[in-house]
Amino acid sequence: MNFKKIGVIGGGTMGQGISEMLAAKGLDVMLVEKTEERLNYSYEMIEASLDKQMEKWAITAAEKKLILSRIEKVTHFAELSSCDMVIETITEDLEAKQKVFNQLDQVCPSHVILASNTSTLSLTELASSTIYPERVIGMHFIYPVAKVDLVEIVRGLKTSDATFEDTKAFVDEIVEKKGVMIYESPGFVTSRLICLFINEAMHVLQEGVATAEDIDDAMRMGYQFQYGPLEMADHFGLDSVLAALERMFREFGELKYRPSTILKKMVRAGQLGMKSGEGFFKYDKDGDRV
Amino acid sequence: MNILVINSGSSSLKYQLYNMTDESVLAKGLVERIGMDSSILTHKPTGKQEVTEVSEILEHNTAIRKVLACLTDKVHGVLESTDEINAVGHRVVHGGEFFKESSIVDADAKTKIRQLIDLAPLHNPAAMMGITATEINMPGVPQVVVFDTAFHQTMPEKAYMYAIPRVLYNKYKVRRYGAHGTSHDFVSKAAAEYLELPLNDLKIITCHIGNGASVTAVQGGVSVDTSMGMTPLEGLMMGTRSGDLDPAIVPYVMNKMELSVGEVNSMLNKHSGLLAISGSSSDMRDIIEGAEKGEPNSMLAFEMYEYRLRKYIGSYAAAMNGVDVIVFTAGVGENAALLREKVLNNLTFLGIELDPAANKVRSGDPRRISTANSKVQVLVVPTNEELVIARDTHRIVQGINS
Repeated sequence: MNFKKIGVIGGGTMGQGISEMLAAKGLDVMLVEKTEERLNYSYEMIEASLDKQMEKWAITAAEKKLILSRIEKVTHFAELSSCDMVIETITEDLEAKQKVFNQLDQVCPSHVILASNTSTLSLTELASSTIYPERVIGMHFIYPVAKVDLVEIVRGLKTSDATFEDTKAFVDEIVEKKGVMIYESPGFVTSRLICLFINEAMHVLQEGVATAEDIDDAMRMGYQFQYGPLEMADHFGLDSVLAALERMFREFGELKYRPSTILKKMVRAGQLGMKSGEGFFKYDKDGDRV
Repeated sequence: MNILVINSGSSSLKYQLYNMTDESVLAKGLVERIGMDSSILTHKPTGKQEVTEVSEILEHNTAIRKVLACLTDKVHGVLESTDEINAVGHRVVHGGEFFKESSIVDADAKTKIRQLIDLAPLHNPAAMMGITATEINMPGVPQVVVFDTAFHQTMPEKAYMYAIPRVLYNKYKVRRYGAHGTSHDFVSKAAAEYLELPLNDLKIITCHIGNGASVTAVQGGVSVDTSMGMTPLEGLMMGTRSGDLDPAIVPYVMNKMELSVGEVNSMLNKHSGLLAISGSSSDMRDIIEGAEKGEPNSMLAFEMYEYRLRKYIGSYAAAMNGVDVIVFTAGVGENAALLREKVLNNLTFLGIELDPAANKVRSGDPRRISTANSKVQVLVVPTNEELVIARDTHRIVQGINS
């Protein structure tokens, strides 16, 4: 399989990160958003991210220009027919994702791999509504995409071996990240373990065992995490953490997945973490902790 | 004998075709943007019109096939068939400790070049792609590899070892290798020839000053020290490379700015040097223009560049306990008369006397820029790395044939 042009659907945080990373690896990217405005916004965010890297000397002005030149802005699905693979990164809503896959069935030749960046949804369920479920696979990138060298490659029940092999080769050789193979299960490996970790940290906080700072310092320094569990939750967005826990609670039916009440309370109050400026900690508009 | 010289980069490929009976260039050219659907091939046959072709060239194999097609084309070709190419010479950046001189390409050489990918991760894989592509397109044609590091393999241990735990040398071959060896070799020999003096008796300091820059102490025709180190980052201040700095700066800055290994490498290799100090350009021509206008950052960039180059010349005069000849070469070395003037006018303690008029002369030939009274002869010698590769290839292939 020769991967040269990749379609990325959705220009949110993950869509931006994936597009930028693919373009930096030398691939051509078609970034799809519903409207011109959202597309331009996503593109500007990618530009801002590249500027931030330039400030840290990671890339030169020429490299920034080259990376941006590889990202094409697209508002119509029909244009994706020339892509060698399509990665969907829209919100974690099964119905919305299924709609996207149905549209992709119409435009992408049957051999083209359709991947979803879902972190918790069932690939089998997602694939069930498509014409060729054997070409549907999960490719779960982790935020920040450029820095985390791991991708969970998730096989649905009907995902073919060929689709898996090609995806694995794409991740290992072209994207140059480590691809781990995972069989369909709620939360896969990373989301399942990290959400439990975060949830337990919130219980510890709620019980008054330690302050938020001390919980984070203890885990960050004691076990060499880059961020403590509560700051991690702020980065993911507390609403996303809540949604993931609720889904796993429903799917597994086990009490250990029940979201802590403090999490529910904060989401109801609109304290969603970094994106709202306040979660367990406070953030400025660049997302830096204050 | 016709020899094709190939210099493969990761996404580019330069070539020159030589007729070795008179060392004339039959054609030369360049393939850029390999791996994209709009690759550009520029082919310049000697005495004919230059041609440019844009097409999809995804890898080196296709690039070489296109080059061979150009060389044998009815209109802008210079050969009847590719059978007229008798040997191919490749430039390889890193020869490690394996290669003290150029070598024929055989299974053993290929294994060694692959083993060295660790030390030259950007360059050696490209050279291997060029070699493999040549094998596929010109089966049976002998190939020779010429290394940037080979000339410096004569350096004594005291010059190539770093004063760090020995295990790093034993395990990972951390040591000084140097670069631009083909050029330092060529210009030191050409200098002795120009002066009609025996190379074996001379202490020569060669300054290869281009985008990358290095100085070499050549004593009795062999390299005894050179300014580039394990990688081409050490030594002189360059266009975008820092050159020498306190190694403790690296972990300090990484910690303060939370930089990754990749980011700090990029900072030192691509965002430093003239570019960092001038804040505007990595090109010496722009820096000189800015400095002449009195622009303070360009003035500082120029002064630092000149000062650091001069210190290296001084230290190599000390290393050899004397210097008979100083040679300037490569883009900046051959063209920046002002840089040479400033360096040489501050080395009068060595008995150097610059001939200002001769220094201003622009020419493609070797020339002397010091006066008749000067105790040290100073020359400008245009470098020609491709010719060295062609000559080495010729010599080695003939040796095998006879």
